[in-house]
Formats: sequence, C-alpha cells, structure tokens
Amino acid sequence: MIKIYTTPSCVYCKMAKEFFKTNGVQYEEYDVAADEKARNEMIEKSRQLGVPVIEINNEVFVGFDKDALVKALGIKK
Amino acid sequence: MYDIIIIGGGPAGVAAGIYTARKKLKTLLMTEEFGGQSIVSDDIQNWIGDAHISGFDLAKKLEAHLRSYSEDVDIKIPEKAVEVKRIDNNSLSAGFEVKTDKNNVYQARAVILASGARRRKLNIPGEDRLNGKGVSYCSTCDAPLFKDKTVAVVGGGNAGLEAAIDLFPYATKIYVLEFGEAFKGDPISQEEVKKNPKTEIIFYADAKEVMGDNFVSGLKYVHRKTGEEKILDVNGVFVEIGSVPNSEMVKGLVALDKYGQVIIDSKHSTTSEPGIFAAGDVSDDPYKQNNISVGDAVKAALAAYNYLLKNK
Repeated sequence: MIKIYTTPSCVYCKMAKEFFKTNGVQYEEYDVAADEKARNEMIEKSRQLGVPVIEINNEVFVGFDKDALVKALGIKK
Repeated sequence: MYDIIIIGGGPAGVAAGIYTARKKLKTLLMTEEFGGQSIVSDDIQNWIGDAHISGFDLAKKLEAHLRSYSEDVDIKIPEKAVEVKRIDNNSLSAGFEVKTDKNNVYQARAVILASGARRRKLNIPGEDRLNGKGVSYCSTCDAPLFKDKTVAVVGGGNAGLEAAIDLFPYATKIYVLEFGEAFKGDPISQEEVKKNPKTEIIFYADAKEVMGDNFVSGLKYVHRKTGEEKILDVNGVFVEIGSVPNSEMVKGLVALDKYGQVIIDSKHSTTSEPGIFAAGDVSDDPYKQNNISVGDAVKAALAAYNYLLKNK
C-alpha cells in the first residue's frame, strides 16, 4: 500500500496526488494537519518535518520527486 | 538548431513561449517545473483576470496554454540550464549553446532567460543540516507540522509576515526577527502580526546559528544595536529573507547587477549580449510581479523575433 502524508495547503502534495491519479496508482492519504497520530508516524518514519512524505513498499520519499517515484513504482514513460 | 531557447516555465517563460510559437519560431522551453515561485501560494489575488487563483491552478493553466502550441514548442521538463555560451565568439549569427543538468546540449539562434529567482538562504551554521528538520522555506506547506510548537520567522517583509500569519492557527508562540529597525511588509499584514498575542517581535536581529541535534531546538541571534547574543528556544525556523536571481548560467556572458540580476533594457527586454533577452524575476526590473513578468516576456519574444529576422 502506498501512503502519502499531506497538509491541505501543500502544493507538492497536490502534485504528487495528481501524479498518482494520472498513472492509476492507488494510495492512502493522511492529513497530518488534522491527524496527530499520522503526524507523529510521519515524523518518526522520515525523521523530518516537511510534507509530502510518500511511502512505497517501506521506502520513504520526502518531497515530490517525480523521477524517483517513476522508478520506485516501475512506471513506464 | 532551434530559433529560440526559453529557459524557465514560470509566467515569463510561458508567455514568451506562446508568443514565439505564434510567430512560428521553432522554440525549445526547458524548466524544472511550471508555475514559477508563486506555485506555493494558496491564494493569488492579483493575477489579472482571476480574483482568486491558487499557485497550483495558475501553474496548470500556464502549462496547458503553452502545450496548446506543442506543434511549435518542444518542452523539456524537468531540465535545468547550467551554462549558456556563444557557439562562435566571432559570429553573432552562429547562435548559442545551452548545456543542461541532464548533460544535454541544445543550440538556438537566440535565448530568452526567464529562469526566475529562488529563495535566499541565511547561510548560517545549522541551516542546511536542519533543513526539513525544523528549518522551513514554505510556511503554507509546513505550518500545520508546528502545532503547539514555538517557532521563529526570520524576515519582516511581506513573505515573513505572511509566514507568521500562516503559523498563527498552529504554533503557540511566534518570534518574528527583522534585521532592520522596522517591518517592510504591507501595513495590513503588519497590523495583523502585531495584534496577535502569540507574536513577539525582535528588531535589529541578526540570525547567527540554527541549533539542534536531530531537530531544531534553538536559534541564536545577535542584537545589532546592543551586540548582545541570545538563543531563542524554538522548534521551527521559517526563513523568509527574499530571493536570489537564477542567473548563474549566464555569468560572464551577460551583464549582471550587484545582486546578480540580468540588466535589461525595459523597452525591448534586451540584455548586454545581442541575441539574449531576459524577463521576469531574473531581470533587474524592480517590480517582482507575475503580471510584469508576462509583459516583459512578451516584449522579449517580439524583440527576439525581430532580432532573428535581421540576423539570418
């Protein structure tokens, strides 16, 4: 399962979600502005405080790095 | 070989691309992302024609408009120009070569610089090491992560004041540090920051070090009047101290001012180097505004068109 930790006003979170949708990738979203448990989980996993944080097969990505996601998800261009 | 290479995908780059495409010039546009610096803005209220638009939606509209001319514009994204040089120093018409971070080299007869600006950093110890670990350059993105925390905002211009305002719903206390003797932001924002009981304003503050092991735990600054050194116990440091032009790729080729901005002639967006034009925040135009960037870029595109006609 792919997880994405977001805040409502974060534009790179929106870009990442749009990227998932365009490529038909299912994901679960956690809003760390509202969900304290998710916030702590995110900080623990990524050891940092920036959003988005994306988790793919236990690999953690900080920020929206399209090339890295393409690689991790095995998306063919 | 292209007629024109446009460097940048913000309002300036896109405007230039639409105009060169309409002139049927063979255009290449390279950018790291579309939208420019205001992409992180939640609500832009001065983009003419839209009373409210988010930076994200503006970026999408700009990209879609440019892509509607895809027949005449090749788009390279994400790709960043690292060096621009003349192919032959003895021949104006030989054109230019643009080297990129993907190790590609593209050639064109003219270049429009629309590479914008990036956030200025404090360049103090701890800033890079703790980037993302309490140091943030995007209050709209990261403010919610500082719920119930104490934070410092460095910078008392509009961006700094807006960062403080973004933080009010979440942080318990917000220090706002200004290097000078007064805030420089709009009076409306100043009022809003000053009247909030969570705010503590520190003028004459010269930030010296971001402290912390795994996460930010403090900010050291010197009071410029008294010389006193103090440490604020904060979990977050939001840096909002202006921007730096992305002009490194033309250093030594075109004339820059002391801030590194490309000096342009405001009539035609020309630079010191024939065949190179510039518009938007990379230029020395004093008003850093999306609408201005668009207008200057249109001038650059039309002037480049005329330049190409004359220099076949």
